[in-house]
Amino acid sequence: MSWFIVKRVTSLLPILFGISLITFILLHLTPGDPAAAYLRASHIPPTDEAVATLRAELGLDKPLYIQYVNWLIKVVQLDLGISYVSKNSVWEEIMLHFFPTVQLAFASCIFIIVISLPIGMISAIYRGKWIDQFSRIIAFVSVSMPAFWLGFLLIYFLSVKLDLFPVLGRGTFAHLVLPSLTLAFPYIGTYMRLLRTSTLENLNEPFVVYARARGLRERRIVSRHVLKKSLLPVLTGLGMSLGNMLSGAVIVETVFAWPGMGSLFITSILNRDYPMIQGCLLFMGAIFVVCNLLVDLTYAFLDPRIRWEGGKK
Amino acid sequence: MLKNVKRKLLSHKLIMISSLIIFFMTLLALFAPFLAPNDPNLVDITHKLQGSSSKFPLGTDHLGRCIWSRLIYGIRTSLGTAFLVMGLTMIISIPIGIYAGFRGGWVDYLFMRICDILMAFPSLLLSLALIGILGPGLGNLILAMVLVQWIFYARVIRGMVLSVKKQNFILAAEVCGTPTLVIVIKHILPTIISQVVVLAFMDIGGIILAISGLSFLGLGIQPPGAEWGMMINDSKPFFRTHPSLMLYPGMMILIVVIAFNLFGEALRDVLDLRKE
Amino acid sequence: MFLKPSQFVISFVGLLIFLTILVTGCSNTANDEENRSNKDKDKSKVLTFSWSGDIGDLNPHTYFPNQWFSQAMVYEPLVYYGEGGEIKPWLAESWEVSKDAKEYVFHLRKDVRFSDGSLFNAAIVKKNFDTVLANAPQHEWMELINQIKSTEVVDEYTFKLTLHKPYYPTLQELTYIRPLRFVGEAAFPDSQNTFADGLKSPIGTGPWVLSEYKKNEEAVFTRNEKYWGTKPKIDKVVVKVIPDGESRVLAFEKNEIDLIFGNGVISQDSFQFLKESGKYETKLSEPTATRALLFNTNREALKDLKLRLALQHAFNKQAVIDHIFYGTEKKADTLFAPTIPYTKINVKPYEYDPEKAKQLLDEAGWKQVKGKPFREKNGETLQLELMFISTDNIQKAIAEYAQGEFRKLGIDIRLTSKEEENFWTTANEGNFDLLFTASWGAPFDPHSYLSAITSASEGGSPDHKALSGLPVKKELDRKIKEVLLSTDKENRNRLYKDILTTLHEQAVYLPISYQSNVAIYHKNISGVNFLPQDYEVPFTSIDVK
Repeated sequence: MSWFIVKRVTSLLPILFGISLITFILLHLTPGDPAAAYLRASHIPPTDEAVATLRAELGLDKPLYIQYVNWLIKVVQLDLGISYVSKNSVWEEIMLHFFPTVQLAFASCIFIIVISLPIGMISAIYRGKWIDQFSRIIAFVSVSMPAFWLGFLLIYFLSVKLDLFPVLGRGTFAHLVLPSLTLAFPYIGTYMRLLRTSTLENLNEPFVVYARARGLRERRIVSRHVLKKSLLPVLTGLGMSLGNMLSGAVIVETVFAWPGMGSLFITSILNRDYPMIQGCLLFMGAIFVVCNLLVDLTYAFLDPRIRWEGGKK
Repeated sequence: MLKNVKRKLLSHKLIMISSLIIFFMTLLALFAPFLAPNDPNLVDITHKLQGSSSKFPLGTDHLGRCIWSRLIYGIRTSLGTAFLVMGLTMIISIPIGIYAGFRGGWVDYLFMRICDILMAFPSLLLSLALIGILGPGLGNLILAMVLVQWIFYARVIRGMVLSVKKQNFILAAEVCGTPTLVIVIKHILPTIISQVVVLAFMDIGGIILAISGLSFLGLGIQPPGAEWGMMINDSKPFFRTHPSLMLYPGMMILIVVIAFNLFGEALRDVLDLRKE
Repeated sequence: MFLKPSQFVISFVGLLIFLTILVTGCSNTANDEENRSNKDKDKSKVLTFSWSGDIGDLNPHTYFPNQWFSQAMVYEPLVYYGEGGEIKPWLAESWEVSKDAKEYVFHLRKDVRFSDGSLFNAAIVKKNFDTVLANAPQHEWMELINQIKSTEVVDEYTFKLTLHKPYYPTLQELTYIRPLRFVGEAAFPDSQNTFADGLKSPIGTGPWVLSEYKKNEEAVFTRNEKYWGTKPKIDKVVVKVIPDGESRVLAFEKNEIDLIFGNGVISQDSFQFLKESGKYETKLSEPTATRALLFNTNREALKDLKLRLALQHAFNKQAVIDHIFYGTEKKADTLFAPTIPYTKINVKPYEYDPEKAKQLLDEAGWKQVKGKPFREKNGETLQLELMFISTDNIQKAIAEYAQGEFRKLGIDIRLTSKEEENFWTTANEGNFDLLFTASWGAPFDPHSYLSAITSASEGGSPDHKALSGLPVKKELDRKIKEVLLSTDKENRNRLYKDILTTLHEQAVYLPISYQSNVAIYHKNISGVNFLPQDYEVPFTSIDVK
């Protein structure tokens, strides 16, 4: 097991390196002189002389690979530079906005599991019945629904018309319901169908046939044996989705004025706040990779066959 | 076999419905200048926020522009952009995917490493960052989406090529000394192209959603152009007093995306293909 | 290691519970806060207000991201700008002006203390003046700063200001919200330079003290119990950051905020909607300042007076007043409302006349080309970039309207929206064609607004760069400098008239309307008045039932 972990973690390093490289290159494609921008951000008029001094100070006159190494050393020390707009440390801003997004993503995971698990399994058991058809329609709608539109519909009907939830912003538990439901919605359909498929496959497995032959009740078979096997792909998927939710959060957070990473990212894009864009991208890329790693490890933990195969390679 | 597919296609209810919707939408888009009762960008503030009338079938928005006309022109923007993104993606990813798969060796190795890195980012996030650097606008939006998308297709195509490469008829052609380019064009491309097209169709819905999402955020088409996502964004200040402003464009997105998703799924069923 | 099915289900349920706890746990802190403030509401009076951006670092000596209203809550001036422009004693209870109008002696109140308990006296007044003066180039827009020769502590409670030349708006400029207001000794950074290094903490003499602050989320101001003047009736003001006008309206309807105040903070449609619902109190202030479009004469196309005149005639102000403002703002024809001192000029307003505009465009060489929607000159399309603040709902509405209207005449308007800080940075760099601007209102108009036109500093205004393409700019600057230092009222009258007439003739400003502040509040709130300085919010007089 530990060998597997070590192997997986080391395989992460080149990818993290790649992420940092891409982020670095992207920022060097940006128009304008970072030194001048930095000066302006610090309320110093960017005269030629001041710019030249600062360029030397920031090492901008050095060859690109040295700049990259210098930048990487800073990044490792969590120094992502200063935002052009807020003039605060990018790292601190990210930390400030990261937590609300994590909260949103986890709440969405709960919605996904709670809604898609029962419907998915039931529609597998009653395959072809109305519930199955119904879940199919839901699945189609859920992946085709524009998240921002759904957000407004929910606000309009549940908050404004029925006055069930607070409208916008972050605060109490009730504030969390609508945005996380909106964020979860596209995944609900996917997972519903995923669960249905895997349950169907498992229902025809020899061990189920055997259990049936032994005279076990269908309910017991499903809840004891099939549920567990069908959940595995969902769990893996959820871990991967967690990373994708970070980007889905951009739209949902904009609609609901949720002060998370997504809002931070979109405001920095609209303001051309390059250090912030770079920081967000780097951070979210790293989070995405780490999420995938955790999924792999959990999976290996739950299903030992994987780590043997992994070990053999 | 082809006949069989054709019959299956025609008998498939979903395909019929969804392709009818798509066909109808395409017609609307193509003949927008004749079908739209008004200039979609004509501002007349004296008619603002009106209900439906004979002149404005669905009423007007906050600048007195005809909503129905804007919806119709919106099809052009959404479908046009989506197909353009898809087309450009294909143009880039098919040659690269085939080359990496066919050539193998270090080229393939390098390609796979690039894949690993680029796919380490959630795709929407990378598009967003690219637009952030290039600046908002429809052209940049297309560019950003293509730059992010191609890698997925190239990878899938590479996989297809790898499996085709080992088949006997390719090996036979190689033994006969057929030039590589001929093998690729005559034998490999035809075998993979139908799968690729199905894949592309299944993704069109997602691309339309992404485009409207980015436009909603103000990163896509700039005003006064008509685009559904932007129309929803524009209607934000009025969504309690005039909810229909927000309902119509959202419905359009939903209908079009569902149609494409259904079509893609049904196509896959019929051709019995599975995505990767 | 391979888990038994039952164990697996248990661990899965465990995971679910863990997630639930994590999520609810996250919100618990917020919950507690809500509960606490609800409890507080029972005992104490809290007013929740919202603003489109963060209040900034509460430093009276600097500008954006500091907000006028929050600076005015914590810091106070020597003299106060009262109704109708009357200068009233404030931190100085009286003052004397020498005969040559170059020396001002202020007698300070003796009962004033900073919120940290330290004494307010002549020494701290001098220290504040000196730190501002040390950064004089940053405050160049304010002529008084350029005119101060020396500051002097006469005795503990007497402070003397000596000027280079007699400067007539001296007292008026001392009422400004920034930069000449006072922080306590303990607030100064080690370098003593408040402009460059900020404050250690926001210590002022005002009726409010910042008690809690979460950047970009909310700020809580508590009543200053040691305040020397009339104490506020409510205990706390909570300022929530809500960037978007629509969100603000929704939050207001949901009772999450108590008061909406300001200009452009919600769209006119929303204002109309709330007003007509009859459920809330709404108020509209007297005109405060002029809303206008500024043309950048540095851009090649706009150097041409004919094009500027064409734009003046192409813009239908009345339609904007009727359909965007629903008549809540009055039409403006000159840069300053005629009610402002020195600004009555006899000029012919530019009336809406699309035919004349077309003719002027043709004369300027911008010709219609068959089959193309926009006019061209030497193969170049007539495209102008109009920049507006993304959070300002009224600017957005007018901008979109202008885009549609100008399009009919063959002028392509490209809209660029920017967040406020970025907007001003870009504006000061002169990177725009057209820009939303507004005169500064009382007590700044007209002298400070005009003074800023002559200043190239960062604290100046975008007008400086925008006007520098005018051949008469040098002459204009000279006249503005002259009028500010002129001691003779008649002479001043003549010069102002001259300056304003030139600005009108050059057609660099397209005045749209005289803007007003709006106030919308729930019926349990009283005492919402409009203050003479229209950037201030009347928290001190507000009461909550």
